[in-house]
Amino acid sequence: MDADVLKKRLAREKIARRQAESLLETKSRDLFLASEQISKSAQQIKAQSQQVQAVLDHAMAAIFLVDENEQIIRANRIAELTFETAMDDLLGMNLFALFSADAREAARKCDAVSELNQEMNTSDKTIELTGQRKGGATFPMELAATELDLDGSSFTVWICKDVSSRKQAEEERAKLERELAQSQKLESLGTLASGIAHEINTPVQYVSDNCHFLRDAFADLVAVLSAQNDLLEAAEAAGVLSEAVAKVRKSQEDADLDFLKEEVPSSIEQTLDGVSRVSKIVTAVKEFSHPGTAEKSLVDLNTAIETTLTVARNEWKYLAEVETDFDDALPPVPCLPGEFNQVILNMVINAAHAIESKKEEALGKITIKTAQRERMAEISISDSGCGISPEHKKQIFDPFFTTKGVGKGTGQGLSIAYASITQKHGGTISVDSTPGAGTTFTIRLPLPDDTALKEAV
Amino acid sequence: MKGIIFTEFLEMVDTKFTPETTERIIERANVPSGCAYTTIGTYDHRELVQLVVELSKETGTKVPDLVRTYGFHLFERLVRTYPRFLSGIKDAFTFLEGLETIVHQEVRKLYSDAKPPRIICTRDGEQRMEVLYESERCLADAAHGLLLGCIDYFGEEIDVRQEDPEDESGQRVRFLLTKQA
Repeated sequence: MDADVLKKRLAREKIARRQAESLLETKSRDLFLASEQISKSAQQIKAQSQQVQAVLDHAMAAIFLVDENEQIIRANRIAELTFETAMDDLLGMNLFALFSADAREAARKCDAVSELNQEMNTSDKTIELTGQRKGGATFPMELAATELDLDGSSFTVWICKDVSSRKQAEEERAKLERELAQSQKLESLGTLASGIAHEINTPVQYVSDNCHFLRDAFADLVAVLSAQNDLLEAAEAAGVLSEAVAKVRKSQEDADLDFLKEEVPSSIEQTLDGVSRVSKIVTAVKEFSHPGTAEKSLVDLNTAIETTLTVARNEWKYLAEVETDFDDALPPVPCLPGEFNQVILNMVINAAHAIESKKEEALGKITIKTAQRERMAEISISDSGCGISPEHKKQIFDPFFTTKGVGKGTGQGLSIAYASITQKHGGTISVDSTPGAGTTFTIRLPLPDDTALKEAV
Repeated sequence: MKGIIFTEFLEMVDTKFTPETTERIIERANVPSGCAYTTIGTYDHRELVQLVVELSKETGTKVPDLVRTYGFHLFERLVRTYPRFLSGIKDAFTFLEGLETIVHQEVRKLYSDAKPPRIICTRDGEQRMEVLYESERCLADAAHGLLLGCIDYFGEEIDVRQEDPEDESGQRVRFLLTKQA
């Protein structure tokens, strides 16, 4: 190759080298920009990934991404908490191992449902089944699944929500609704009873008035008959009007006058006594069923207890004798009359049931005492019933706690009594019991100070 | 067109003819780049056509024959530079079938602006294969040379017949390859 050719080639090579260097610079710059862009993209992806994970972790349900082999490839924090399983254990685990054995088939059916969800572009079709925590404890859960394709592979997103709390709340709500319905029924009955009592009171009143009239009138008649008898005896002694006298004597014998004179007054007295009892019961029912007020008023506790005993008589009269020992000097106590009556009623019924469960032939005894203890009014209700065992003693004021048989108690009587006395009346309620011997409940209610009492009076 | 196609052409002229021949055709072609090519650059493919035409004038050899020879030379260069493309491959048909997915894919990785021709291979039994060349650069003869270089490399007896182009543009040419018994 001659020098001329070499010179030409050298010149071309120089140009080519400059081109190559320029290209290299351009490519280096392109590479730097691409690297920068990739770095930015990586940061964005990382931030987005963190956002997605944060959203997943704060979702109020366990979320799983599951592959075609039913293996969990991603899960959120709630999944760990719900199934009490560490993330390392969850990842790679078969999803259906998290469901109770009998729920697995249903869960697989949900997998089919997921296809429907995908078609509908929704995940609101859920099924309820039983989940299983690591320790084996089961819980109700709501399950939804959606199918999705990622990079040509099929995955399923599973959303599992622990609905234990909701179920419990629903059950409690249903129970409260039943109780509310019962309470409304009882309230209606109370209103009816009040109306009926009012209706009965009117005829009872004139029956009573007429009996009094008959008693007085009969006394007058007896006086007339006595005078008439004197007249008859005088006529018989004088031997006059023999035929007329004999006729009167005959009618006296026919009517059994002596018997009538002896029995009619006692019949009338018995009737008056009966009418008086009817009147007392009617008044008690009327007072007891009087609509409760939201504000406290000064109440004569002795009368209130007497009224309640009258109303509840049917509950205890075949089981126990009731003895009252009231402190007549007990001043009126500010309270909600309706609620106080209800508390006493619950206590008396409990006492009767405690005596009944002892299954003794002889009548038991319920003693109710009232007294003033410093600035407190004290009511004690004692029974000679079965008593309360030590293990039950600390639970008796808990809502829905009962040892009574089905249909006998709702487990709310004492809990309502406790809430009413302690929260609404600022009082106390305590229990002292000896199993097999009996129980005494003691209620203490604060008395008003003298100034308040005078103002109220 | 990538610079390597130009540098290899000039290399071939140096080898098959003489360096002086190369310089003369460069001078006569008088292309815009001055033929100062670098393998990684990109140049107008018409410069290659001009160079081939000048070489034809210089040597009295027909342009298609020159281009075919160049294709053959190019395959030899491919074997020397990128032996991994042929690693594990035992015959020409198998290599040709992987041309698009292996070789051209690698070219695109190195040069995102590269526009290699489209090669579609269709087997017709064990002995026959149809190779369809598609390129706006109309270098079917170069493709023919490459096919011959490939067959030579694998030491096979394969007849290569270039069918009449479907259109006059030369952008779409069909080759029929038949193994000889």
